[in-house]
Amino acid sequence: MPDIALQRPGLSRERRDALLGLLLIAPTVLVLGAVIVYPLLSAIALSFQSVYTPTLEGHWVGLANYRELLGSGGFWAALLTTAIWTAGTLTLQVLIGVAMALLLHQNIIFRSLARSLVLFPYFLSTVVAVLVWRWLFNDLYGIVNHALMTAGVIDAPVNWLGAMPNAMLSIMVVGAWKFFPFVVIAVLARLQTIPEALYEAARIDGAGPISRFFDVTLPQLRDVLTIVILLRTVWDFKEFDLIYLMTGGGPVNGTRTLPLIVYQQAFGLNQMGMAAAYAVSMMLVMLVFMLAYLQRARKAAA
Amino acid sequence: MKKRSNVLASFVTWPIVLLIAFPLLWMLITSVKPAAELFSTSPTLLPKAITFEHYARVLQDTPFLQYFANSMILATSTTVVVISISVLGAYSLVRFAYPGRETLASLVLFTYLLPSVVLISPLYLMLVSIGLANTLASLVIAYTTFALPYALWLLRSFMAGIPQDLESAAMVDGASRIGAFVDVVLPQALPGIISTALFTFILAWNEYLYALVLVNSDEARPLTTGVMTMLISAFNIEWSLLMAASVLMSVPLIIIFAFFQRHLTSGFGAGGVKG
Repeated sequence: MPDIALQRPGLSRERRDALLGLLLIAPTVLVLGAVIVYPLLSAIALSFQSVYTPTLEGHWVGLANYRELLGSGGFWAALLTTAIWTAGTLTLQVLIGVAMALLLHQNIIFRSLARSLVLFPYFLSTVVAVLVWRWLFNDLYGIVNHALMTAGVIDAPVNWLGAMPNAMLSIMVVGAWKFFPFVVIAVLARLQTIPEALYEAARIDGAGPISRFFDVTLPQLRDVLTIVILLRTVWDFKEFDLIYLMTGGGPVNGTRTLPLIVYQQAFGLNQMGMAAAYAVSMMLVMLVFMLAYLQRARKAAA
Repeated sequence: MKKRSNVLASFVTWPIVLLIAFPLLWMLITSVKPAAELFSTSPTLLPKAITFEHYARVLQDTPFLQYFANSMILATSTTVVVISISVLGAYSLVRFAYPGRETLASLVLFTYLLPSVVLISPLYLMLVSIGLANTLASLVIAYTTFALPYALWLLRSFMAGIPQDLESAAMVDGASRIGAFVDVVLPQALPGIISTALFTFILAWNEYLYALVLVNSDEARPLTTGVMTMLISAFNIEWSLLMAASVLMSVPLIIIFAFFQRHLTSGFGAGGVKG
């Protein structure tokens, strides 16, 4: 055959290409293997052991950690707390995010400045966000209590972080403030691609602004909102910094979510095996949302 | 008609925007208020006098500058390591065919969603056993766990958007595959690489949990845990001091945000949402 003569001796073009591809991906595979896959497998192995953190000495205990975890009320209470936190803060994020995206989509005065101001909290460190909000919520000198008392909404200062359900509501609000810009950016990008003709057609049919939103905008946003909600569910569910720094899981265990228990078990109670059992259980719960997102994202990428 | 609705929308939108920005404004105001004004029972919106004494104290009396330097080294190193690995990796995932490629792409996306708390105990054990505990290097390694999958996924979608014809044309003209990569793909991917690098830097700059667990000395402590130490160690919480520290800590982010906002929002769509 004539093409064989054109080929260089040795490897075919496809084979050389595949080899180069493997060479380029090799550093990624090595690093991901060392810092993620190996630790992930170790975490699963750890969950079947009892390990005392300071000495790092451990022995196998089989399923004892899981039996203790599922039998204790702590896991279920924390799972419920995590679900409440996730549902609450996510609802706020989506409502504020969509509303804000619709407003910022309008041709308002100084629009790019408005957008920057709205997006900035997302890029801010959680540490900074928490410090600012703890100062705003301060019971004696905080501006929130002061403003509400001046306006006559409350008579005495409210303990925003040290009592329930205030603490849960407060962290939901801070979570919404910090993370709603994610929804804004995603929805805003999608809004810009909705064809104007769809709105024209709806107008000719006599649809008002509200029915235009429900009949034209919302169906167009469905796909992006599904992905945003899946992603934010995963991220809010595993949120550690914000809750740990706002309330430390308190008052009592009122805002103690699963990630906080994992940290507490590993580095507070020095029970690393138990911590791993909590972490693996938490991951199994999250897996539903992770797989749903994975499937959607792969479909979108294909 | 159009103009009137703009004005109306502005009147609705701007008060909400200002309400959202208020916490940040309050942070700035608190940081320049004299201590006496701060603890008054009727706080004023605008300070009667402006002082920079809190900033001076943060810089002179606290290890802030040490933390700042640590964070700068940490975020820069993480970015350099992660970008070098992920540019090659993403290119390979997008342009080459070999067995296991799709599985690997799914694995990258899966690790992108993995919670840090799952990896924290084994990583802690691993870093202690190789003698890296309490160093900035340990944090660079730990930050790779979330930054690498993120950067790979982001770059992958950027590179998928580069037309393959350009590369093929360069190779027809006699360029090698690597030559085409350096001369054609890299320049085309540059905006995506910048965007990914900025995101990686911000992620590393803001990280808290790994820093809390892996480092407990001021020599290696970054700003996030360092500034929180200032809160805990103070007998009376000095809010103006903490607000000044918060402002200073956010300066690099403000700079990035001011100059590269376009890069940030484009990267955002590419990686997070479009998949």
